[in-house]
This record gives sequence, C-alpha cells and structure tokens, in this order.
Amino acid sequence: MTNNKTINLEIDGRFFQADEGMTILEVARREGIEIPTLCQHDALEPVGACRLCLVEITHPNWKGWKGLVTSCLYPIEEGLQVTTNNPEIHTARKTLLDLLLARCPEATYIQKCAAEYGITATSFKKREEETTCILCGLCVRVCAAKGCNAIGATGRGITKGIAVPFRQPPPDCIGCASCAHICPTDTIKYTDTEDLRKIWGHKFKMVKCVSCGRPVMPEKQLEFEAAKAGLDAKYLTTCPQCSQDQTLATVQSSFQSKTVPGGSLEVAR
Amino acid sequence: MTKTCVDPKKARKILDRYPSGDGTSLIHALQDIQAEFGYVPCEAAELLCEHLSVPISKAFSAATFYKAFSLEPKGDVVIRVCTGTACHIRGAQTLVDELCSILNVAPGKTTKDLKFTLETVNCVGACAMAPVVSLNGEYHGNVQPGTMSKKIRGGK
Repeated sequence: MTNNKTINLEIDGRFFQADEGMTILEVARREGIEIPTLCQHDALEPVGACRLCLVEITHPNWKGWKGLVTSCLYPIEEGLQVTTNNPEIHTARKTLLDLLLARCPEATYIQKCAAEYGITATSFKKREEETTCILCGLCVRVCAAKGCNAIGATGRGITKGIAVPFRQPPPDCIGCASCAHICPTDTIKYTDTEDLRKIWGHKFKMVKCVSCGRPVMPEKQLEFEAAKAGLDAKYLTTCPQCSQDQTLATVQSSFQSKTVPGGSLEVAR
Repeated sequence: MTKTCVDPKKARKILDRYPSGDGTSLIHALQDIQAEFGYVPCEAAELLCEHLSVPISKAFSAATFYKAFSLEPKGDVVIRVCTGTACHIRGAQTLVDELCSILNVAPGKTTKDLKFTLETVNCVGACAMAPVVSLNGEYHGNVQPGTMSKKIRGGK
C-alpha cells in the first residue's frame, strides 16, 4: 500500500490527496462528504446498479467537458474535479428515485429516500405487480462473497428478479440470512424461532449457545463457517453476548491475579 | 408433470464433451442440453453444475436470461408465428388468435398433452413470404387464416 501513487483531486472545491486506485465515493466518504447510495456496501465490490451515487466530473485538460459518472465505480485521477451536488445531479437522482418509487411504491426505505428529494408519489405509472425489490443485487453479491452462491438473478429487462434456482429451496443455502440483513428494502423475509430458522423455503435447525441456550446460528451455517475458518465447530457454539462476557471475565481475572502498580484496577463492565 | 425423465447417460454424454471444472463452458453445455432434451431439465442442470463446478444459481440465471433456453418441456411441434413488421401487416395476429383458440393455449405456452408449443417471434428473416409460420423449423409462407388447423396436424 505504501508504494501507491498519491493522487491530488478536488471535491466540491476542496482539495484532497488519496491513494491511486480509490474510487471517488471512497475518498468522499473518507472526507465526510455525503453521497447517497443504495447498492453499495463496504464489504462488497461496487457494481453501480442503483446509479444514485452520480457525481459530476471534469478536468482542467478536458476543454470544458463534464459528465455524470457513478462515483462508486470511478477511479480517481490526478487533477480530477468532482461536484457531488448541483441542480443537474439533483434532477438525475430525483428521476431515479421517482422511477424506483414507480417500481416499489410500498418500499418504505425508497419512500423515505424519495421524500428527501421532495417526491411523495411517483409521477410515472405504478408497476402492476407489487414488489419491494429494487434489484440492487446486494443479496446476490453478499451470498457470492460468503462463498455460497445460493441465490441469483433471473430473467432480464422488465421481468428481471431475484430468485432461487429452479424455484426450489436452494441447495447451497446455509441459512445465514445475510441476504435478508443486507436488503435495503426488507424484501427478503425470514423467521426465527427457538429451534428453527425459515428462509427461502428451507427450515434450518438452530444451534443453541452452550452457555446460555439461546439460538446462535443454523447448524448448516456452523458447519460451513467452521470449515471455512478451519476451526473446530465448538469454537462457534457460543453466542456473541456470552463470548463477550467470557472475554471480559478472562481479562478481569488476569488483572486481579497480577499486582497492578498504584492499587487495584477496576474493570468496568 | 414432466413427460421425459432425464436419462443420466444422455446427460453424461453431453458433459463429457466439456472439461470438468471449467465454468466458461456453461452456456455451450446448456445449449447442448437444450438441443438434446428440448428444454433444460433441472436434473441435467444439476449434473452440469457439478461437472463444471459452477453454482446452480449461475446456471439458472443464464438459463432464464437467454430466450434460447426453456425450463419447461416443449411440445412435439413447436409453432413459431412470426410477428415481425411485415408479418404483422399481413395478419400475423389473426394467425396467433386462430392458433390460440385451436390449441387453447396462450403464446409462449405448451398444450397439456405436450403436443404443441405456441410461440411468437419477432422476425424470421423471410419477410417476402409474410405472414410466416414455422413448424419445428420448417417455414410456411403466405399462410392464410383458416388453414392453421390442417397445417399443424400435418406438421405432427
């Protein structure tokens, strides 16, 4: 990382330095400049599906040419001048949200985003089949990043959707529910009970925490995670809360057993 | 539901043409499966994915993305009515309506007895003989309304 070239660029009239290879969005976020996104997640490669992160770019050498690009995908370059908000960008984002609202009128998150741009009802014709899926693809990408590839996109164009292969419970699903957690519009549903997690037509048996008895994760996920990390499964059978408590107890006891200069050390829980 | 049970030997024969573990052959192999079975059966896709080390979700995405693949068994006779501009002008819609009422299926669907599949296509490149209907790839030009019933029985 240290031998990376340093790039000078300008965002909203302020000058910044950043490593070569970073995207406009990464630099902007680092500097606390807000750019709205829907399909971006720090843990995943950007794809530029939602187009909401549009910014305007230009360069002193470009003879006045400027254009709108997706900041999540655009790599920074020397002397680049970026504008993250102006009337043109605002209009473009407003149209995008208007279209998303026509597709998913019931999606509360989209309603909220659209309201920020002054849209309370779509100006386009509403989609007839109800959906809240905005096709950002986060669920598919997180599943692939996890190494499962259980779900995927189906069809194309207006019939594109997210589905399980051959409309059957996906054989590669481990029940981790990452897809449901990452979904910005809560389209993917799952239910948890003490013993079972139901997702994508599967019923996964839950593993109970060895110390408190609360459900930790599905058995299939436990096997998967243990194999992936090369760990014994028993290392993963403690719930996050218990594991935190145990670490705390270990730290406390190690402090109590040693003489700390200046008296006893209270470890706040 | 499915008429043909997938013969694993037939599927295996197709798979052997492709090096195992090479995901780039996915589309080619799917095309071969489509040609062999007339559709992409779930079982064949599963065997294929295992052979090529491709997740089944990827095969499903590809198979639903391209119109060349069908996930449902097709009829013995695939009727394709051209609805391109020339055929449309010369009454392709009348032919589609006629076939719909004869076969009692909507375009894109297959009859319950798996004898006929009715499809509409955008242009078969034979505009001079519009309207065109193809029966299992055999082109019939200047088709007159009222003759469809005879044609499809003959094409069986």
